[in-house]
Parts: sequence; C-alpha cells; structure tokens
Amino acid sequence: MTATTQETRTILFKIKRQTEPNSAPFWEEYAVPYKENLNIISCLNWIAANPTTTSGVDSTPVAWDCNCLEEVCGACTMVINGRARQSCSALVDTLVKETGADTITLEPMSKFPLVRDLVVNRQRMFKELIRLKAWVPIDGTHALGGGPKESPEAQDTRYALSRCMTCGCCLEACPQFTIDNNFVGAQAISQARYFNMHKTGAVLADERMEELEGPGGITDCGNAQNCVKVCPKEIPLTESIAAIGRQATVHAIKSFFTGKK
Amino acid sequence: MSDTAAPLAATPTFLQKHHFLLRRLHSLSGIVPVGVFVMMHLFTNFQLMVGDYQHEVEFIHSLPALFIIEVTLWGSIGFHAALGLVYTFTGKANVDRYAYQDNWRYTLQRITGILALIFIFLHIATLRWRWGFFGWFTPFFVAGPDGTPLVSATTANALQHSKLVLILYIVGVASVVYHWCNGLWTAAISWGLTITVAAQKRWGYVCATLGLVLAIFSAGSIVGAMTYKVSDAERAAMQAAIERHEQGLAPIEKSSEH
Ligand code: SF4
Ligand code: SF4
Ligand code: FES
Repeated sequence: MTATTQETRTILFKIKRQTEPNSAPFWEEYAVPYKENLNIISCLNWIAANPTTTSGVDSTPVAWDCNCLEEVCGACTMVINGRARQSCSALVDTLVKETGADTITLEPMSKFPLVRDLVVNRQRMFKELIRLKAWVPIDGTHALGGGPKESPEAQDTRYALSRCMTCGCCLEACPQFTIDNNFVGAQAISQARYFNMHKTGAVLADERMEELEGPGGITDCGNAQNCVKVCPKEIPLTESIAAIGRQATVHAIKSFFTGKK
Repeated sequence: MSDTAAPLAATPTFLQKHHFLLRRLHSLSGIVPVGVFVMMHLFTNFQLMVGDYQHEVEFIHSLPALFIIEVTLWGSIGFHAALGLVYTFTGKANVDRYAYQDNWRYTLQRITGILALIFIFLHIATLRWRWGFFGWFTPFFVAGPDGTPLVSATTANALQHSKLVLILYIVGVASVVYHWCNGLWTAAISWGLTITVAAQKRWGYVCATLGLVLAIFSAGSIVGAMTYKVSDAERAAMQAAIERHEQGLAPIEKSSEH
C-alpha cells in the first residue's frame, strides 16, 4: 500500500447488487473517502449521494435496510467481507485492521429471499417463531396476578436468550440452514428454550417439543457450532441446542411410555 | 416469491413421519453396536503386535451365533450409512467462508463418514467375504487346511498387497477413528447430555483422548501387519486355503495350535 494522506485515502467497496428478486446479480465498485470511525452505513449513505462507480459509470443508489443504528434491531444485517454481521456496528477501521486492506466487500445474506441489492426478506425467521409458538400465552380472560417467581440464575440465562434481535447471522452461517429447506435454525430453537423456561410460557412446552421433534426440528442441527460464533449478541446458542436436545429426549421417552402420539 | 421455509407435503414421507425416531436411532446405531464393535476391533488388531492375535480371532470365530452378530452389525452399519448419506446432503458445507475449527469438525464428520463407508465395504468384501476385485484378492483365513495358523499371515498379506491398499487402510482407519470419536462428542450434545460449554469441553477432552489412543493402537497394528514376514510354510498354507475356498469348501476356523 502506498503512503496515502488522510484526504486522498479511499476505501474500495465491492458490492454485490441485484435489481429484482429474480434478476442476475452483478458487482460494482465504489471508492469512498476515508474518515475516522466510519461505519458501513455511513459509507452506504455516501454512495447513495454519489452513485458513481470507480469506472466512472453513473449508477443507481445501492439499496440497504437499517433501523436502530445501534445493533438491536437486526435490520441492517448483510455479509461483510464474507461474514454475516450488522452494517451499523461494523466499523471500517476494524474491518481494515482485520484484513489489512482498504477493500471491503458487501453482499446480501444468501439464506433469505432477496428483495433488492443488500435488502433481504427475513420473514422466515418470524414464521419459525410462530411455528414454535415462541410466546407467553395470555388471552386476557382472567386476572393473572403477579408474574411467576424466578431465581437469579434462571434470570441470568433467560436474559442472555432474550437479547436475540432476529438478525439472521446464525442462520446465514449455519451449514444446515439453506434457503429452500425447513430447518428452524438456532435462533428459533433458542427462543423455544427461552419460552420453555418461563413458568407461564412452559404451558406450551409440549407443543413446542412436538414441532421440534418433527422434520426441520432440533435433530437437523449438525453441531457445526458456527451459529454461536457469529451471533452478535453472544447468545449461548449451542447450549440452547443441547438443552432443547435434552428436553426432546425426555419428551420423546415420556410420550413413548404415556402412549401419547 | 416465497418468504417461508419449504412447506411439507400433505402426506409426509416415511422419513418425515418418523423423523425424530430415525434421527435418534441413527445416532444410537453409530454408538451401539457399530461404534463399540469398531473400538473393540481396533484394540484386538493391536494383538498383532503384542499378545496372541491368533487366539483372539479364533475365540471370536468360535462365538455361538456369530452369523447373527454379523448380520446385526451389517444391518446397523447399513442403516447408519444409508440415513447418514441422506442427512449429509441436507447440509451445505461452508468452511470457505466460516473457517472455524468446529465447522471443519462438522465438515470432516461428513467426509470421513463417506470414506469410512467405502473403506469398511472394501475391507469386509476382500477379507471376510473373500471377493476378488481386478486381481485384488486378499482373503482372510483363520487357518490352513493342515491347521497352520494364518490369522497374522493373511492380515499381513492383505495389507502388503500394494501401496494403494496400504493408503486405503491408513485413510480408512483414520476416518473411522475420527468419525467415531467426533460422533461420540456430538451425540452427547444431540441427546442433551452435555449442555454447558464447559461440559462440552470436558467431554471433548475425553473423546479426543480416546481418539488418540485408538489412533496409536491402529497405527501399531498397521505397522505390525506391514512388518510381518510371511514364511514359506504360511504361504503354502494360504495357497491351500484358497484352493479349498475355490472348491467351495468351508474354511477352517481353528488352528492346530489351539
Ligand atoms: S450448531 Fe451448527 S448446524 Fe446447529 S444450528 Fe448452529 S450452525 Fe447450525
Ligand atoms: S440468535 Fe444471535 S445471530 Fe441469531 S438471530 Fe438472534 S441475535 Fe441474530
Ligand atoms: S440498524 Fe439495527 S442492528 Fe443495525
């Protein structure tokens, strides 16, 4: 790398684009002037204002999604330098330090249907949550009184699980989760554990386990443990997978002997 | 555009209907009987180096209902392999992007499964079923028609057949050992025995140690088979056993020494 001054130094963005859900993808390159503390979103903002590629072609602004800008909503998730992460919390300085080059590649996540450029449709994750009834059932027909008592230990575990923002990183990195299969994925498995641990949520535990013992359920995990490594919220996903594995073992043995199903 | 997972067909297939049971039986069959048998087999082999290998094999061949044991084993291996192949292709390896050690472990588990299957088939076919493939004919005999003990000699003869066979044995046995020990590690997660990261780590050390010990034992057996010098008497007895086999007569299962 030649010595560059603060003013002339640029970061080269290689971006995988696609105009329509079914059109062919293509790559474009943009040179974004370097500033300290840039995140990927601010670079995409700069590109939106200056959509001219490095070869001088006037292009269209790159589409992306974002919302909270503080890594709690998951909307801005994309594949940055080959790894799924949030573009709001991915800092240019950190990325450059990681690779030692002033080049950053951006791609949309590959496990969700593409909408346009870097925007994907993450709906499947929410449908998996519905499939596992990942909620506490309250129908509002009677007074519930105070909430269930909870030990500090259980609270610690459940707090960690509650941080999931349905971003999809764990699914993007999972070799068992593909765009066209029906694996529920680490995120939903962990949420099932979260709600099975809640005293009121546990009312639905049997139904959750039946779903998790079906095709695409817990047994489809291949224990590659990529999910836990890419989760930005450091959720103990592999512990959730093992915990649900244990619940499934117990549930299956129980239903074998009680004759249910 | 579909934003959901692939829907299940209205009438679920056999695999889908018994999904959980089959998955857990797949896991179980890898441990008992297949894994436990393989582990015993790898330890027995080592008697080629130290101990009375001839005696050990004669003992196994004298077990009552050996045929039932064998059929159970073949059935279990077949079941484990068939489902394993189906499951292997439900995933899509991505170590190029996510080169974590665990991801390699996952990918290797699938590769070694297929390698082990090929190896086990060729190993049983050439030695136990005494098939010949294009001049590769290395049948295993307990003893010659005159009672000469042949266990070590026929094993040595099988491995010394060619460099290719030796490579097959090294790769095959290494795959078997890896697949068994890693499978033992992941089975503990799947069944829910090891939940915390700390527990998974501890169990990991146990499995790794077992793998190392099995690898050392197997390496010893292979070295033993490669360095074994087949005597002229043994060679003659082997020839006689082959002729007897070609006449369709039952092999001798006991040497005159025991
Ligand atoms: S452990 Fe591996 S296979 Fe299982 S959900 Fe996580 S990444 Fe996917
Ligand atoms: S578990 Fe982690 S990686 Fe997966 S969706 Fe939730 S926050 Fe994202
Ligand atoms: S914008 Fe919400 S996580 Fe990045």
